[in-house]
Formats: sequence, structure tokens, C-alpha cells
Amino acid sequence: MRPPRHQLEDALRSLRNSAIRYADIRFTCSEQQHVKIRNGEVDHLSSTTDRAVGVRVLSGNGWGFAATSDLSEPSILRAAKRAAEVAAASHLTATRPVILSDIEPHVASWSSEFRTDPFAVDIATKIDHLMNATERMRGDARIHQASGEISCYRQEKHFASTEGSFIEQTTTQMGGGIEAVAIDGSEFQRRTYPNPFGGDFQAEGWEFIERLDMPAKAETIRDEALALLSAPKAPVGRFDLIVGSAQLALQVHESCGHPTELDRAMGLEISLAGGSFLQPAMLGTFRYGSPIVNIVADATIEGSIGSFAFDDDGVPAQRFHLVEKGMFTGYLTGRDTAPAIGRASNGTVRAESASRIPIIRMTNINLEPGDVPLEQLIADTRRGILVETNKSWSIDDLRLNFQFGCEVAWEIEDGRIGRMLRNPLYTGSTPDFWRSCDAIADRNSWQIWGLPNCGKGDPMQTMRVAHGAPAARFRNVEMG
Amino acid sequence: MTHGEHDSIRIIERALEAARADEADASFISLDQNISRFANSEIHQNMSEESAWLTLRVVMNDAIGVATTTSFEEDDLAHATEIARQSARHANPVRGFAGLYKENEPLPPAPAFDEATAAISPAEKALALRSMFERGRRDDIQFAGAFSTGAASIACGNSHGIRRFTRSTHAEATAIAIAHDASGYATARSRRAAEIDPAALGEEAILKATLARNATEDITPGAWDVILEPPALAEVFEWMNMIAFSGQSFEDGSSIFVGNIGNRVFGDAFTLTDDSLDPEFLPFPFDMEGLPRRPVTLIENGIPRTPVLDKSWADRLGFAPTANCWFLGSSEHGAAFHLSMAGGSSTREEMIASTKLGIWVTRFNYVNGLLEPRTALMTGTTRDGTFLIRDGKVVARLPNLRWTQSMVEAFSNIESLSRERRIVGTWYNMFGGTLAPVVKIRGWNFTGKQEGPAPA
Repeated sequence: MRPPRHQLEDALRSLRNSAIRYADIRFTCSEQQHVKIRNGEVDHLSSTTDRAVGVRVLSGNGWGFAATSDLSEPSILRAAKRAAEVAAASHLTATRPVILSDIEPHVASWSSEFRTDPFAVDIATKIDHLMNATERMRGDARIHQASGEISCYRQEKHFASTEGSFIEQTTTQMGGGIEAVAIDGSEFQRRTYPNPFGGDFQAEGWEFIERLDMPAKAETIRDEALALLSAPKAPVGRFDLIVGSAQLALQVHESCGHPTELDRAMGLEISLAGGSFLQPAMLGTFRYGSPIVNIVADATIEGSIGSFAFDDDGVPAQRFHLVEKGMFTGYLTGRDTAPAIGRASNGTVRAESASRIPIIRMTNINLEPGDVPLEQLIADTRRGILVETNKSWSIDDLRLNFQFGCEVAWEIEDGRIGRMLRNPLYTGSTPDFWRSCDAIADRNSWQIWGLPNCGKGDPMQTMRVAHGAPAARFRNVEMG
Repeated sequence: MTHGEHDSIRIIERALEAARADEADASFISLDQNISRFANSEIHQNMSEESAWLTLRVVMNDAIGVATTTSFEEDDLAHATEIARQSARHANPVRGFAGLYKENEPLPPAPAFDEATAAISPAEKALALRSMFERGRRDDIQFAGAFSTGAASIACGNSHGIRRFTRSTHAEATAIAIAHDASGYATARSRRAAEIDPAALGEEAILKATLARNATEDITPGAWDVILEPPALAEVFEWMNMIAFSGQSFEDGSSIFVGNIGNRVFGDAFTLTDDSLDPEFLPFPFDMEGLPRRPVTLIENGIPRTPVLDKSWADRLGFAPTANCWFLGSSEHGAAFHLSMAGGSSTREEMIASTKLGIWVTRFNYVNGLLEPRTALMTGTTRDGTFLIRDGKVVARLPNLRWTQSMVEAFSNIESLSRERRIVGTWYNMFGGTLAPVVKIRGWNFTGKQEGPAPA
């Protein structure tokens, strides 16, 4: 069931209170399917369909939002009325004017592309594919768990505003990954492909799962998990560190993506996720990283889960620098935050579904590739450590002090990869770390990684974002 | 407005009728939640959500399929049912599964609903918060936080005639007081909004934000005696739930409980129970499989007793059911949503007075428990009030500190526990929270600190 356009617009028209300056309404239908195989059994097989309508109202200088999962006309009208009441309550505490950056109204329709609809591929095919991959990881008694999962996601979204926009968007996404857990006595090791926590995700169809080719990688993953059981522990001390593409994507997420969210910088997320060390006065003058570091936000990349045509303010998707030649140059902004730094919205406001308030979210936040082949980068490293695939992550409330753990590391001695190392941890302070970046690998090691589980907001909203990253080298990083 | 008992049970029965399976069960939750978030001493996000969702689980030849929908029209219900059936047809039988719950034992008393909490208006909450903001402005203090209230109706049932229904309410507030570059934190959660006093929380947060305001010191990394407040412990338990307490972590071998049931792993002073029947905590009478709740001791005087389990994993792993299914079909196979850590006989003030050199922590930030799950090695940072104690007195504020610590080691080194315990809410858990004392622990491993950016 989808409420027709006139029903959404009627709800906006019902908001006749003269204090109401702006309102919008969204409908979403989100469908998910998840299949997980573990040790030769179907461990989890579930489907979810979630429909909601949400109304957002700016009354005076107070925002209000109300949502319902009941899509009947009276329920939608009640939600609109409730949003206005909530906005009026917010206004009771307002001390500053809410200013919205100007936009043109848009009437548009957009869908992400795919070749084979993930939901049209039958469950048996998905199970067979995962069985084929996970069986190859079994057989050794120390492999305690061989698992694999495939996820399908589609969200259809309709947006209407009192400024005359009406936008329909649909994104279809697919994800998958495999995992081998090896245990020997008290030693516990996990190795995943291509990434942990469900694998990698792209705005594609079943063709993405075929391209991942999990069965072909399964034996390598198994062997590395087993080898980690007896590998020496990663050393403690200062080393030159080469961070692989997938791990560097998460480093970008935590240490650049989140601190460049303008709502965090303005203190609006302090109660949960925290603030940001990147303050507006630092725009254009603060050296975030070394001169070779360029980080862009790009919501226009075809096939990525961080892409869309319009954000949930109705602002077109954009590409812009957050860090250019190492200097901090931009924030992720929305219509009601961008004016605080004298800029227009760059279109990064999104909500998990229509039952949640749109807030600033990452899109595709990418470290631009450099010009050094990865092989040469390794060959140029006299003594260092190469780390790959995230295992743990933690960063402080201003996004300064971080610690990451990785699934695996390798010694680098005189430009050659040596022994495998287990349980590597590295730590540092964000600007010190990025300023120590002295080499970024070229486009051959650059890959975009889909992260479907970025948490922010209250109630918690899980957003689907992505990060492009190559491998890169950082000098004199603290390990352990 | 949440659904009543008749409507809720009727939706469940329609789903069960449509299931046409060997066995089936369903849960139906309708929620009216209202969250006022504030920052810079004004409400900036204010939301009200009325939602309802049905989860149907069908069992065919001991294999399970699950579907969830927010639409209860005939067609949508039929579609969800077909998806669940299709899933079950493709799944394997759950090893050892002895079938859905049948016993229909009486439910324990667990009053969870408060009419006044369900009826509180956005304007009432805004006015209460406005008073707190005005109080802060007198001392040039800004507030951030959230004031949440909500009501839910929760029903579940199965093809063996089990029918359960209850209503619950919750109220929770957090306040961060920001005094220039220092901050303090306070939080409370209850079934009753009348027990949540934003003004009192604001005062508590202000005390923390202004304590030792003009005395800052630094420390060297290493092992320090530490006094942890309940919000810090709640963050740690959030991860323990995932890596140590769940049925899934027990089966996949990552839990410290594996091979250690009945063995001493932690110190004597550490006892942890999952208790949703304590009227002073956050009462709730049943889990989503319809089993009556009972207090479950996870760790008794340092000895692991049982993981928390849904029925299918209890059968599979050979444990007695613990009634810890909160989402039908969850791949965690059990979660402890009412963690209650036993207190002691001390007070926070006595702990401070007895500390020659130590650190007092209000709360943690961004804890991660995936470093080495078998020792529950975790990392995180402190925030919103970290203090240096010297010779029994709070002498300075410290920067936010990074720590990396095995929880097996930490909970073996408990020196004292407070008598008073407090309830802390957790974002992933609408049913309960954490009830914990203040704890003094010897030798907590601090490894670094938050440092502002150096000039380039």
C-alpha cells in the first residue's frame, strides 16, 4: 500500500496554522531480506517490510516531527497535526532563529540501477551460493564457525514539501560476505571476506554477489584464520603503517566523516555520539592532513549505497571537498545548519526511514587515490606493518583519539612482506595521523566499500553510507 | 495511541491462522514514543512516533522462517506469511529443537504501565526542560541531552494457545551540562515519568561539570585504581551482552562462558542477574516466545551459571530456558535486557575517601568489545567528568582518557561496591536497561588521552 501523492500533499495543506513556516512529508517502504548460513545450516532467514509516513514541521523557531506506520488517510492527517503540536512545544524553548538555506523546488523521479533484481533471485539460489562458499572453509577441527550471509535491501521514498517539491526515489542494494572463526585453546581468531559485519554492500543487484565470488575466496580466508592462531602477536611500539583499503575506509568514516558533520560541530549530537574537534573557525585554515590528502563527499557515484538523487531536505546530491590538499575545507550540511557557516546546504540530510527525523549523514566519503602503485609503496617501506580488515573500532567524543584493531597484519622488512601477525592494534590522534600520511596508493587499490550500519541519532538511526579508499602509508604510528 | 489487548491478540490470531505450519508464533508490538532532544539549551529535535509491527515465525519440519511487517491488511499479512513459509521450507531443522513453548504457566506480577507517563504532552516536557535551561543560563551553562517518554503494548502468542499481552511505559532523561570546556552528565530511567526530574538531573550534571573546574592535571598511562559510575558499567555490559551472554556467542565459541560454566572466572564480588521482576527496576512479565520471566543469574560470585537464551537455542545447547527471546528469529538467540549487578555496602563518597591515588569516571564513550572476546578485552574512552583522586580527595579534572582493559581481569579486581544502585537506559533496548552500583576496581589500564590538535 502506498499513499497517493494527493494524500501526502493534502496532509501538508491541512497545516494551516500561520506560525508554520515550512513542512514536508515522506513515505517510505523499506524491504529487507537476510540469509545466513553457518556450519552447513541455514542459521537465519528473515524478511522485513516496513512502511511509514513522517511529517516534519517548522513552527516559529521550533521543529516538530511525527510519524505513523498506519498509512490510512486519517492516520496521516493525525500525524501532520501531531507534528505541528510537537513543533509548537519545541518553540517554547527556542532562543535562536531557525534559518533554512534557499532551494529550488524539484519534481523528479530516480532509481538506482541493477541488472538482476536481488528480490527476484530465489532463496534456494542464495542458500546454494552460500553453502558452496562456506563448505570450502570447513573440515579442520579448529574451524569452529564457517558462515556466510547475503542481504537484499530496497527503499522506495516519496517526498513532498510546502515549497512545491515532489520527489520519488528508489534504491536497491545487495550485500554479502563470508567468515571463518578458528579456535585453538584460548586463542580465538576471525577472518572475513570482503569485510566483517555482513560483508560489502553496493547499490546493485545479484550481479554484485556474483562479482564478489565468495566461493573463490573461501579457502584463503580459512587458511588465514588458521594461520592467525599461531602467528606472533603484532608488536608494540612505533612503526610505519600501511593501512589496506577496507580498513582505511573505516578510518575515513570515523576520523573524517563524522567530525565533518556540521550538526556534530554545532553541538547538536553531543548527548549521544559527541561533538567534533573540527570547528567552523578552522574552515580553510586548519591543516587536517598532509598535502597529499584529499577527501571528498560524493553522493553522485553510480552503484554505491551512499548515493541518491536528492536528500531528505529535497536538495540535489552533490560532490565537494571536505579536505583539499590536506586543508579542512568543508562540512556535510543541511538546510537548517548550513546558514550557520554562511553556506548553502550541500544535501546530506537523510533519515533511515520516514519514521525518523532527517539528520546530517555521510554519503560516499572518499579518500582520493594517489599516484603510487601499492607494490611500490610496500617496496619503499624499510620497516613497517601492513594492516587489513577491521576488527574493532573506538574513537573519543571529539573524534580525536582513536584505536583500531584489525583482523590481520604483516611485517614489512626491507620493502618485502614478511610474517603474518595477529591482533594488531594501532592508535593515534586524528590530525597527527593524517598529517603523517606520506604516500597514497593509486586507483588500482582504490575501492568503494558499503557500510550499511552507521549509527547516529535518538532514536538510533542506522544509515547506509560508503567510503572509497586506496591503501596508504602513515609514518611513525603507535601500535599496541 | 497504542493498540489494546483485543486488537493486538486479534492480529496475532490472524497471522497464526494464515501460517498453516506445524507450529507458529507471533509477536505484535505497538509503540507511541516521544523524544525531545536538546542542545545548546533548546529543543532542536522533537519527535513523536506511532508505529506497530508484527513478527511471524513459522516452524515446518523443525525448520524456522521469519517475516516482519508493519502492515496488517489481508494482502500484506498473506504476503508476510508466505515469505515466512518459504523461508522455513528452505531452512534446515534446528538441531535439538523441542518445539515452541506449550506450558502456559501463569505470568509473574510485573506492573509496567503508568497512565500518567503515557499521557504526558510534548508541551509539558518542553516546559520542564525550559526550567532546566534557564537554571543553567544563570551560571553560563548550556545543556544537551534528551527527555523521552513512551508507551507500548506488547502481545505474543503461538499455535499452542499461548496468548500474552501487557502494556508498558518508560521515561528517561539524560542531561549533559557544558561549562565552557568541561562537562558533566546525569541520567535516569523509570517506568514512571513522575520519577524523572530533569531539574534534579540538571543540578547533578552541573555539579560534575563544575567540580575541580580550575584544577586540571594529566596522568601517565598505566594501571590505576578506578571508580566507575553506573553509566560506565552499562556501556561495558552492552558489549558483554553481545560477546559473552548471548546464546549465539556461546555456540560460536567467542564467549568467556564456554568451558567455564560452574568455574570461577571473575572475583567473588561480581554477581550479575537478568531480572525483569524487580519492582524497583523495569518490570516486564514475559519474553516474546511467551515464557514467563524469572530472575536468571548469569554470574554468581564470579562463577558463570548460564548464557541467556531463546527457547530454540536453550534446547540446542542443553540449557534450561531463560526466557530471553526479545525478537523472534534474532540471530543473537538471547539477550539480557534487564541486567542487574549486585551492590555492596559502600558509598561513592567512601570509595573516594579510601582512594590514595585513583581516577573517578562518570561514563564511557564508544566502547568496543571485539578486540579479544575470550578475555572480554575492550577499549573505550571516558567523557563528561573524569577526575583525579589523591589522598581521598578529588583534586583535579582529567582529560578524556583511553583505556584498554580485559573485563575478566577487571571484574576479578573489584574492591568495593556501593549500596545504592541506579538505572541506566540503553539505546538498543526498549524493554529494560541496566541497574548497577558504583564500583571501585583495582588496576584499570589507561593507555592514552584526548589531545587537541597541535599547530601544523
